[in-house]
Amino acid sequence: MNDYLKLQGVRKLFGDACVLDNVDLEIREGELVTLLGPSGCGKSTLLRCIAGLTELDGGSIMLAQKDVTRQPPRDREVGMVFQSYALFPNLTVGQNVEYGMKMRGMSKAAQRTRSEELLALVDLEEKRDVYPQSLSGGQQQRIALARSLAVQPKVLLLDEPLSALDAKIRKNLRTEIREIQKRLGMTTLFVTHDQEEALIVSDRVCVMKGGRIIQDDSPEGLYTAPRTEFVARFMGSYNVFTRPEALKLFGRVDSSADSFALRPEAITLLKAGEAAAAEEEGRILLDASIHSVSMLGNIIRCTAEASGIRLTVDVLNDGSWLRLREQDQVTLVLDPAQLRHLEREGA
Amino acid sequence: MNTRKAGLAPRVLILLLMVYLLVPLLATGLYAFAQDWQNSLLPRAWTFDWFIQMFQDLRFMEALWTSLYLCLISVVVSLVVMLPAVFVITMYFPRWESLMKGIVVLPYAVPGVVAAVGLIRTYSSGPLNIAGTSYLLVGAYFVVILPYMYQGIRNSLLTVSAAELLQAAELLGARRRQAFMNVILPNIWPGVMVSALLSFSVLFGEFVLTNMLVGGHIQTIQIYLYKRVGESGHLASAIAISYFVFILVLSMVLMKLGKKMGGVRG
Repeated sequence: MNDYLKLQGVRKLFGDACVLDNVDLEIREGELVTLLGPSGCGKSTLLRCIAGLTELDGGSIMLAQKDVTRQPPRDREVGMVFQSYALFPNLTVGQNVEYGMKMRGMSKAAQRTRSEELLALVDLEEKRDVYPQSLSGGQQQRIALARSLAVQPKVLLLDEPLSALDAKIRKNLRTEIREIQKRLGMTTLFVTHDQEEALIVSDRVCVMKGGRIIQDDSPEGLYTAPRTEFVARFMGSYNVFTRPEALKLFGRVDSSADSFALRPEAITLLKAGEAAAAEEEGRILLDASIHSVSMLGNIIRCTAEASGIRLTVDVLNDGSWLRLREQDQVTLVLDPAQLRHLEREGA
Repeated sequence: MNTRKAGLAPRVLILLLMVYLLVPLLATGLYAFAQDWQNSLLPRAWTFDWFIQMFQDLRFMEALWTSLYLCLISVVVSLVVMLPAVFVITMYFPRWESLMKGIVVLPYAVPGVVAAVGLIRTYSSGPLNIAGTSYLLVGAYFVVILPYMYQGIRNSLLTVSAAELLQAAELLGARRRQAFMNVILPNIWPGVMVSALLSFSVLFGEFVLTNMLVGGHIQTIQIYLYKRVGESGHLASAIAISYFVFILVLSMVLMKLGKKMGGVRG
């Protein structure tokens, strides 16, 4: 196996609370893996364990075929970007980027060349001699990225790097980070609580809950096939049904699962009159009334009530649904093949 | 700037406060320059005699010097001990913080007289017989300024998020000592400077503890002032005014210094 970063049975306790519970994780060289989860799920702690800022209570960490479990942070060759940037306020942007190289005893000239290269990479060459406080949050975070890349780390750890930024800058910077990561082939571990961010930037997403990785999948896999109710709910707008609800809607379900999930865009909405035309094999038609409508831009998200169950339905905003109003009578077309049968928690 | 103008009431209040604070100082100032001030609203004649007398008085210069170096030594010793200590506690043993907070306010809780009596009792016999010496005084001063130094250093560390800066530096390959010297220290320096200055002023004006501990042996400026008050009010006023100007200049110099270090670079 070509596992560049390999965690085995990583455990961490804070007092009696188990923050990391036997976490196994393998990352290939050049891969960007995201740890996704709500606050308190242990994702940041895991990152800090890899960086060496938090000591393990069990398990091992291998980086590039080398056991780094007991090594101090400075010998691990990992780069880290913090949510709060953590730039040194007493140093200029250039000095910040050069700090790591200076600590490793690189020559002045080499430091200079490399820092210029990196400042060009994050597109901030002209800010070389200013102090970080005079830069915007997005710029500061790009400097922090350049600083951590300067010493050519074996793995880059990003601890919610975008959470302190406002929405527009966040979107730009996440694409920028992804581009730089791809260009340098940098093995990267990205921590976030934002599922959209995770799906967009990652090669692979690990959803964490209660100190464990509960699903490790590609972004497509994670979105289309959540394995448990927790993941389905965390991915956003999924309709999650209990077994009785699913039986009521679909008539029968071919498994012993207790909960089920259905993506909002897997439900087709028909105007009350058109129903007959859409009859296809296996599809289920339900009369429903619209409860609320919200306009998201390219899609319209509405909640509809059928047999006393409320469902979220996404329809493409192609102009045909402009007159959708609350209380309108519609027909829902459900495809049993699209229904996800969810595993029990902790299984 | 879009600061709103203050209303009438706050302005009057501030004016009254200024009057309350400045009138005694002004009176002392006038008295220090007055030659004859008996039954008139303002002095009849002005003179520099009191100041000349003061500066010609060797004992005054000596007392000033004694005060200066005792306070300076105490503050420096406190800096040398407290900087690393507070750093280690806040960074690595945050659980001790609540205990430290309690210990550190103890000097407030013990009245000067009680502390002095206790210290004299403890150090006037036995292996450490240092009663009446400047060693005891420096030790006592160290305790007096403990709260200011501890809180000042701790708050500076927290405001610059020293923990994250330190971690960032360590991940970039710095040793802890290196990281402390070139990342933490330059950033907390202005804050530390301010608490050092505050401590210095507190010590410079300290009288009760000093008088009881070493009153008969060492003359600090406060003890000297106390002894001269009875002799000549004019002279005492002159001393008080010089003392005030000295502290004012000192404060301004140190503030400038702190600002420079914080603003430009470490």
